Amino acid sequence: MQRYFHDELQDLRNKLILLGEKSHEAARLSVESLLDNDLEQAEKTLALDDSIDALEKEIGHACTRYISLRSPVSTDLRLILVALKASHDFERVGDEAHTIARKTRDILTREGRFKPSLKIREMSRLSCKLIHDAITCFVEEDIEKAKAVIALDREVDALNNYHYEALASKELKKALTDASRFDAILVSKAIERIGDHAKNLANEVIFLLNGD
Amino acid sequence: MASEIPHSFVKRSSHKKRIEALAVNLFRQMTYLVILAAAYIFVDITINGSKAVFQSTAPYVNVQFLTDKPQTLHVFEPRETYETMQQVRSQILVLETKNRGLGESDPELSNSYAQQIKALDAQYESLDAQRKETRLKYSDREYRALEVSPDLSNYKHDTYAYSGGGIGPAIIGTCLLVLGSIAIALVLGLLCAVYLSEYSRPGKILQAVRLSILNLSGVPSIVFGLFGFGMFVLFFGWGVSLIAGWFTLAIMALPVIITASEESMRAIPRGFREGALALGATKWTSVRTNVLPYALPGILTSSIMGIARVAGETAPIMFTAAYALRDQLPWEGLEHPSDFLFQGVMALPYHIYVVSSKIPQNEYTRDMQYGTAFVFLLIVGFFALTSILLRIRVRSKYKW
Amino acid sequence: MNPKNTPLPSNPTNPIIEVRDFNFMYGSAQALYDISLDIGEKEVTALIGPSGCGKSTFLRCFNRMNDLIDNTRIPGGTIKISDVDIYHKDIDVIELRKHVGMVFQKSNPFPKSIYENIAYGLRIQGIKRKNEIDQVVEECLRGAALWDEVKDRLSDSALGMSGGQQQRLCIARALAVKPKIILMDEPCSALDPVATAKVEELIHVLKENYTIVIVTHNMQQAARLSDRTAFFYLGKLIEYGPNEQVFMNPENPKTEAYVSGRFG
Repeated sequence: MQRYFHDELQDLRNKLILLGEKSHEAARLSVESLLDNDLEQAEKTLALDDSIDALEKEIGHACTRYISLRSPVSTDLRLILVALKASHDFERVGDEAHTIARKTRDILTREGRFKPSLKIREMSRLSCKLIHDAITCFVEEDIEKAKAVIALDREVDALNNYHYEALASKELKKALTDASRFDAILVSKAIERIGDHAKNLANEVIFLLNGD
Repeated sequence: MASEIPHSFVKRSSHKKRIEALAVNLFRQMTYLVILAAAYIFVDITINGSKAVFQSTAPYVNVQFLTDKPQTLHVFEPRETYETMQQVRSQILVLETKNRGLGESDPELSNSYAQQIKALDAQYESLDAQRKETRLKYSDREYRALEVSPDLSNYKHDTYAYSGGGIGPAIIGTCLLVLGSIAIALVLGLLCAVYLSEYSRPGKILQAVRLSILNLSGVPSIVFGLFGFGMFVLFFGWGVSLIAGWFTLAIMALPVIITASEESMRAIPRGFREGALALGATKWTSVRTNVLPYALPGILTSSIMGIARVAGETAPIMFTAAYALRDQLPWEGLEHPSDFLFQGVMALPYHIYVVSSKIPQNEYTRDMQYGTAFVFLLIVGFFALTSILLRIRVRSKYKW
Repeated sequence: MNPKNTPLPSNPTNPIIEVRDFNFMYGSAQALYDISLDIGEKEVTALIGPSGCGKSTFLRCFNRMNDLIDNTRIPGGTIKISDVDIYHKDIDVIELRKHVGMVFQKSNPFPKSIYENIAYGLRIQGIKRKNEIDQVVEECLRGAALWDEVKDRLSDSALGMSGGQQQRLCIARALAVKPKIILMDEPCSALDPVATAKVEELIHVLKENYTIVIVTHNMQQAARLSDRTAFFYLGKLIEYGPNEQVFMNPENPKTEAYVSGRFG
């Protein structure tokens, strides 16, 4: 039986998907700005962050309200818990995107351009895909896709490790200033974190679907 | 020991259980005793009463008994048989006196006396049977209608008051009394009960009123009789009349009816009343549509039962409504319609009282007493049955 | 529940019932102390509190059902419904009760047919035209979401219905006299969860057209169902506000303790 207040859950779901799309957008914009040396994209990313934060807060409030007033159980309760955790993850993705954009801006203003010679392009593409897939598996309630996201996250980790080693190598020491190299490490780390959040999201989708 | 007791719930005898069994037995015995006593009374009345009410030839019911007025009974007994019986009787008496005078001195002689008495007794019995067969019985009306009365040289003529004829007027009188008092008592009792249970404010006064109504049912019936006599017969000047009887009986039944009706109405869930009131019904509307119809089965049953019981009382009608003998039926010889109300009637309970205590007792009054009691029992039973049938009918219409 | 999830103003903007410093006594025992609150039109207002806190008494003041109990009096205060003081001496209680319907804790359909139950309210007003009654019966049963379940057995006894249906029939019966306000005294306390849910759905639909005041022991129900909640304790109004306030962030520590189940 569908109760009148179940619309609120649908509402919450929609908000969560919206937040997911926003954070995905932020991640995409930030890595594009990095890869294309596009300062404008970086600024757009920075601007997006506030609306992401606001949306996360709104979802948090809706969840508390639903728990207080509707006493949800079972799948409804799991959805609320997942919404709380996932919105946090999305917000963190937004934060990472914010970091990337900020660092990109720093590097660009300092160096003029950033040479994404490394495997950073692949890594960015992968992380964005992970976020996208995580949202998709939530929307489509696809447990297989969620598992695939978890598996794929390892590749992102591997790429990140590769970067750490590469940035410590002699050639790059010559090519970049210490500050930029340090920034590049942070950027790589941020992209890796985006992948991690995607993995968390996938785990939450699995929890939502079968309670594990 | 442990091996003998297979589990902890095995049966064991104990002091408590013996007491319990004893108590159950006691209750059972007492119940049987009551049932036996009741059964004895009913069976006795039925067997003896049906002798008067039923007969062995068609139409099997003694119509005359049920419709005729009470009359003097004329009995003609064959003089010869009668005299022989007298002789036998006196011989028995002589022998008994001798036997008693003998004492224990001569057992042989005493034995032979006893033998003789036995033989005489048997002779007396057979003569008595013969007398019963050959005697002629006429009610007063039949006697007057006889063209040739039996020859008094062969027959001995006796008359017995009230032992002939029937109890027709008494049956009619009782039915009239019951119906009239039901009507009066139901109207009065219901109005009173509705006020008490629905409108009155609970408090000390109401409690006092309730208590006095309850006490009223404990007042002896003779007191009601005197009250009715003083109030209706003398003060209102109605005389010994049907209407005075109605009101006396009705007032006597009121406590039962009021209590029972109040009880029935209080058993109706509060929700029925509140539901109606919350829809904007007035109090009377809610009582009329949602309380009375559902309380009615209970009210009717207990009221009619109460009245039927009261109708069996002799004392209240003794002074107010009942005549020992009245030749006319209630609708005969009325000069004015209102005379119907202001006439005395015969009634079964009073008739039983009269034939069993106001006239000399003999073998002929016995039939009359038992017959009247049996008919009376049937009538009261009929009213009770009606109330039960009515209850079933009304109940199925207003079920809740 | 307001559909947009925007917080309600702490007091109703268009009150239909205004209670000011209302006191109520049973004999010498005071049941309500200085209650003041406004009940908004076409809102669901829940009254909660532990047993004996006076919430049912308060509810029954709105249609003067307490008049039926002896030795009750109102030492002070007013209740105004649509700006009319309902305890004024000129008030016709019968008319008031037509305006303010009531549904009781124990469903109390009359032991008549389903049809007659609804028609009762009309019949006692002297309405006899069959087609008019027919129309109202259908309207009310539809209004109470009961029509499809019972339309083929309108002449059956109402007592043959399930508990939830009986309670919804009682709501339908209350609708027949066209009230503006419906009072509900623990309408779901005797119902199973599914029947309860159906009654709640019905209340949610009814608030489009009626003002509903509901007394409930079930806090979740109050939280789910109402727009505003009033918490009573020992005859006093402890806290009154939108559900978001009362259940999520109560101002009074007693309310907090009660709604979180830490009472006593």
